[in-house]
Amino acid sequence: MTSDNGPMTALRAPFTTLALRRAVFCVLGVVSAAAILSVPAIVPALGVGILWATGVMSSEPAPTVAPAFLVLFPLTIALLVVLAAPIGRAMGAVHRALAARLLDVRVDAPPPRPSKRISAVVSDGPGWRAVGYGLLKVPLAIPEGYGAFCYVFGLANLSYPVWWPLFRNHPPGTRLGPVWALTPFGTIGTRTFAGTFLIAAAGLAMLLVAPWLMRAGTTLDVAAMRQLLGPRRLAQRVRELQVTRARAIDDAAAMMRRLERDLHDGAQIRLATLAMNLGMATEKLGADGPPPDLAQARELVALAHRGAKDALADLRDLVRGIHPPVLDNGLGDALATLATSSAIPVGVSVELPDRPAPAIETIAYFCASELLANAAKHSRATRIGLGVVRSGERLMLTVEDDGVGGANPDGPGLSGLARRIAVVDGRMRVRSPTGGPTRVQIELPTQV
Amino acid sequence: MRVVIAEDAAMMREGLVRLLTDRGFEVCAAVADADALRSAITAHVPDVAIIDIRMPPTYTDEGLRAAIDIRRDHPDVGVLLFSQYVETRYATRLLADRPTGVGYLLKDRVADVADFVDALTRVASGGTALDPEVVGHLMRAGRDTVGVASLTPREREVLALMAEGRSNAGIAAALVITSGVVEKHVANIFAKLGLPSSDSDNRRVLAVLRHVGGGG
Repeated sequence: MTSDNGPMTALRAPFTTLALRRAVFCVLGVVSAAAILSVPAIVPALGVGILWATGVMSSEPAPTVAPAFLVLFPLTIALLVVLAAPIGRAMGAVHRALAARLLDVRVDAPPPRPSKRISAVVSDGPGWRAVGYGLLKVPLAIPEGYGAFCYVFGLANLSYPVWWPLFRNHPPGTRLGPVWALTPFGTIGTRTFAGTFLIAAAGLAMLLVAPWLMRAGTTLDVAAMRQLLGPRRLAQRVRELQVTRARAIDDAAAMMRRLERDLHDGAQIRLATLAMNLGMATEKLGADGPPPDLAQARELVALAHRGAKDALADLRDLVRGIHPPVLDNGLGDALATLATSSAIPVGVSVELPDRPAPAIETIAYFCASELLANAAKHSRATRIGLGVVRSGERLMLTVEDDGVGGANPDGPGLSGLARRIAVVDGRMRVRSPTGGPTRVQIELPTQV
Repeated sequence: MRVVIAEDAAMMREGLVRLLTDRGFEVCAAVADADALRSAITAHVPDVAIIDIRMPPTYTDEGLRAAIDIRRDHPDVGVLLFSQYVETRYATRLLADRPTGVGYLLKDRVADVADFVDALTRVASGGTALDPEVVGHLMRAGRDTVGVASLTPREREVLALMAEGRSNAGIAAALVITSGVVEKHVANIFAKLGLPSSDSDNRRVLAVLRHVGGGG
């Protein structure tokens, strides 16, 4: 495509695939606006339909019918309040998909609902913003519908001269009714072949105007989508980041405290005891000459030796807890090593085309470690599957077991995990019906 | 000499029992928390108690609080606080009322058995034993105090050892000099700092610490 300006571009505009796709989008926009308008009427209409079909409407007096509407009205409101957000989300997803498919405009999905509880569903911000988009869709559909109308009927009108001779080959002098054509300014009719050229001219004008109308409509629509169907607005994002930052700081502080406690109660006390034993052994060996108490000295040195080995083991565990050295070789090696230390057999599959950021690898590793520990503790599973795959710019870590299920995503373990991964905009999905199986999926960005 | 030990790490506790028994001390009780310590002190009234600062249930300063109680309720029981880190504020709190029969040592110090036993004996007999680390902190804090700057390096060494609670003889042994030389250094130090000289080791520890800002 060249950067032609002026009349050529304008003439070509209606005949690009973009125009066609925009037209499809606009037509679908009108359809969905109509659907949105009809949603609040569905329940009352159903009620009326049932009453009418059963014949109550005509035979029963008003006092019998009226209470039915007294019930139907609040029912409609309640259903709308409960269902609006999820319906809004679904409708938003459809519109994002349409925009991606037809307009090549990608709008990121908002974060998923935090839980399935009714309170979370009703107070679901992104869902209600999608509802807002749905309401806005009605006025947006006007330019879109107008553009699509001009496009479709412009093409139709342009074709009148072509099919006139095919159908109007009557003997001369035959008087016929006029042929009608639709334009934005009403219908025009003609009885002559020459007249069809007037219609064609109107069609051409409509066709030339249509792309700009559709473009105006879709541009407004895309702007509305970005505002209402995308991730939250900046202010909310800032709040979200503040919360996750506070958590990250808390976690770091808690980690330092844990580290201090582990060192204080572990390696440090072992080394102090070891030093004490060696100090005593030194005394037993004496400064020079034959040792005054060789047997005791030997025993103390053996004790110190054992203490040194214990201290080393302590430090090794601690070091692994801070950052497993095998992680430097990549997530695959680290998870394979992790799997071998599990009491339940773990099948590991890691398929990553390249290495994610080190911080992400570390988070993924500790998530896997915690989930495996959870499974070992609670699931009574016989097999655990641990998988890591790359999906676009995201890393998907899945841990599934064939155990008894019933894992609680709001419990301290899993919610703690969710909190930690939220710091990097990670998400967690837990499916663990009572009776099992359990499947936990963690989605992380590949870069921080 | 009778000792009560309060230390929550079992291996350290057992090691201490072994070390002290070996050195001829009588270990009346070896306990793991502050409540057990209080009852052991009441039951045995030992000469000295070795107390770990961080003990269950909160692992913060149970030992220190128990030590303060013990010093109030049993003034004759020496208290040796035992910790893996030094906190000058703790030393200050312990010394606040009277600097007798009190000590504060890093656990590392048990490695030098003779020094440790010496410090414990000093505390048991009403003396003072402050960890060199604590003294170092206090001296650094007090280095801008009038007089400290005018001390010679040797006098500073003597001052630090004095602050740890050592006697003139102990200082002489540590620095490998004669007692007479130590006495001369001590007199110079007191003169330069403008302190009234004192014969009692305890009083002199307190005077020095007050001067460098730790004993107030």
